[in-house]
Amino acid sequence: MRINRGQIVGIVGESGAGKSTIGKVALGLLDENAVIESGHIKLDDSVLTQYTEQDFAPIRGKRIGYIYQNPMTALNPVLTIGEQLIETIQAHTDKRGQVARNFAIELLKKVEIFDAETRLSKYPHQLSGGLCQRIVFAIAICSKPDLIIADEPTTALDVTIQKAVLDTFKQLAQKENIAVILITHDMGVVAEMCDYVYVLRHGLLVEHGPTQHILMNPKETYSRELMAAIPRVDKKIDRFLVPGIIQNSEGRDRALTFLNRKVDGQNWEQTAPLLSVQKLSKTFISPATLVSSKKSFKAVDSVSFDVFKGETLGIVGESGSGKSTIGRMILGLYNPDYQTDIDSNVIYRGVKISDLKTRAERHGICQSMQCIFQDPYSSLNPRMSAGENIIFAIKAHGVVSGALAWELAGDLMELVGLSRSAVEKMPHAFSGGERQRIGIARALSFRPDFLFCDEPTSALDVTVQAELLNLMKDLQDALGLTLLFVSHDLAVVRQMCDRVLVMKSGEVIESGSTDKVLVSPDNAYTKELLKSMPRFTFDTV
Amino acid sequence: MNRLEINLWAAFRGHPVATIGLVGVTFFILLAIFGPLIAPQNPYDQTRLDILDGLLPPMSKLGDGTFSLMGTDALGRDILSAVIYGLRISLFVAFMAVFFGTVIGVTLGLIAALRRGWIETIIMRAVDLKISFPGVLLALMLLAVFGSGVDKIIYALIIGTWASKARLVRAVALSEMKKEYMDFARIAGLSQFHIMMRFLLPNSIAPVLVVLPMSISGAIGAEATLSFLGVGVPITEPSLGLLIANGNDYLLSGKWWISIFPGLVLVAMVLCINVVADRFRDYTNPFLQGKA
Repeated sequence: MRINRGQIVGIVGESGAGKSTIGKVALGLLDENAVIESGHIKLDDSVLTQYTEQDFAPIRGKRIGYIYQNPMTALNPVLTIGEQLIETIQAHTDKRGQVARNFAIELLKKVEIFDAETRLSKYPHQLSGGLCQRIVFAIAICSKPDLIIADEPTTALDVTIQKAVLDTFKQLAQKENIAVILITHDMGVVAEMCDYVYVLRHGLLVEHGPTQHILMNPKETYSRELMAAIPRVDKKIDRFLVPGIIQNSEGRDRALTFLNRKVDGQNWEQTAPLLSVQKLSKTFISPATLVSSKKSFKAVDSVSFDVFKGETLGIVGESGSGKSTIGRMILGLYNPDYQTDIDSNVIYRGVKISDLKTRAERHGICQSMQCIFQDPYSSLNPRMSAGENIIFAIKAHGVVSGALAWELAGDLMELVGLSRSAVEKMPHAFSGGERQRIGIARALSFRPDFLFCDEPTSALDVTVQAELLNLMKDLQDALGLTLLFVSHDLAVVRQMCDRVLVMKSGEVIESGSTDKVLVSPDNAYTKELLKSMPRFTFDTV
Repeated sequence: MNRLEINLWAAFRGHPVATIGLVGVTFFILLAIFGPLIAPQNPYDQTRLDILDGLLPPMSKLGDGTFSLMGTDALGRDILSAVIYGLRISLFVAFMAVFFGTVIGVTLGLIAALRRGWIETIIMRAVDLKISFPGVLLALMLLAVFGSGVDKIIYALIIGTWASKARLVRAVALSEMKKEYMDFARIAGLSQFHIMMRFLLPNSIAPVLVVLPMSISGAIGAEATLSFLGVGVPITEPSLGLLIANGNDYLLSGKWWISIFPGLVLVAMVLCINVVADRFRDYTNPFLQGKA
């Protein structure tokens, strides 16, 4: 690998590919159990891999800066921004006192933080993630380093903020003639930022070349698969061209038969919407304490929409826009605000959910609404095997029992593309994508009509995401499922959804068919959101 | 598919220290169970005791020709036999107290986390009330009310144990309640009993299991304290703690064996329990399987 001053080089690959390890080696920050087997890293003419801990001291922070993934944890929470910045300035330059302070202000202006002087006395938790990341960047450039290693610098940020932060990075790196190694899994970011890109997989270099070349014309099979798996916001495709097609099998057929055998009264064949949400609001109230009075926060503000059988409705928005809260209210995890003067309702299959008083009544209706969760690492009961996770609930409801239930668990595993022999394994033995499949199988075991998908792929690698989205489309086709699909990723929504709602601060600001909203939006915010999406700036493949 | 099924061989293979601990625990438990068959004499059968054998050092021969490994006390009682009998009482009291205290505490803690609201308030205020009382004082008062006896001291120790367990398990359970699999359990319409037993309990119990050995040694210690103060086990059923206390008077006059041997047994037993419990915890933690 080779990088020149003023150049931005991308290292891409999926989790476990060894991206971050390269950055850590360059700074001598490897864990104790890691041994450099061969090869070396040179900064100008000095061989870094032969450096001892002491030799590294003048290099770290001075000649090589490092930008972490999570800006909130990278900054020391008990020191002000100013203290941290000035401390670093004093450590690496001969500026002292007022000069150092002025330099700090100058740096903050460089990274486009307005109101720099007042920001200096703030603590990290008082600033947003985007601002914190800019400050980390300011700290990294204060010693005029030759090289900055940025490890997923914008993964934790919302897309509009990501865009602005990346723009600043890019401009400054070029102006100050700093070489940047950008480690990321987001090909869109690479396309926008990098001149040259290295593709890594399982610790091996798969391919490297100029960004445009790699993204548009990858030679290696893996790079091609990687590119094919990237959802694109500008073009809707039927299925991602990735391997992982589920083989037909007896178990799969049995599972499909089971799932298509609807419970009595569970079929909704009318033309009315399957789910109708009317003027739904949710206010979170933090109770008054000794030092502060009662505070309320309106997470969802009078949202209405209909979902028809068999369609996929997407909800997009940035974090905190109230997307998940809506789903949680529909599923009965939160109680919506109740106001006598507003007719606020959730109507499912023509029945008002709020009219269902007894548990038995709720049970019948609500079983056919299920959820696919965001975090595959916390959505399965870690003390139950995969199979038990899938069938425990329906067993508890007496739908199936004994060996038959176990058989069904295996069938469902096959349906979602897992091996039926894995039913006895515990959740921790599965990868994130596999766990998500178990979660889907678990939701399907109820024979649901309606699935609420709460960012089901946001925690997954892009190829795994593509496989999972393919699977969800297949299942939707086979079972006639209705999906409410929440995501912050416009490209994923474009691929999955027929219609879309755009949310901001608890309100729906635009809605319509996906093709319309994500191609020619009317609302200014939607336009900005679309513009901020990192995308391939090159023409179509 | 019982998750509490532990494969002993797999759990302890390749862990020599834990294996020694397991052997030790097994040894002490067997010793406690079969004590009367193993002990050289029945130390509380007055007819077998000979005052002429009093205060003999370890490795001496008694008047009736039997060999005394750990020496004798002032009444000519064989310390080894007294230790074996004392072990029975100590282990029985500690296990019963910790077992019932934990069952009660964990149940209340889980209910508090699951139900929230006024139920939680009542349970947790009761916990605060209990914890704000000095433990020994509370036990003393209780025993003053109950009177002394093995069953009475078990009650007193249960009341001393449950509160910290309830508090611990509630804290863990509250953080588990926020995880998505608990949302699933609610969406799935599972009964509160199912949620508690299969979702909340297995995922919240680990920290309690980790502190159990400490609780047991704590219970043994508390029981010894109370016995020393004369409100614990009756003199006819002395525990290890009471034996240590009995020997206290002789320590300064060089008759060290009366206290030291029960003490050593106590330390060895607690150490073995701790080592085994550590291994047990690592083994049952799914994230450590195959690593630790």
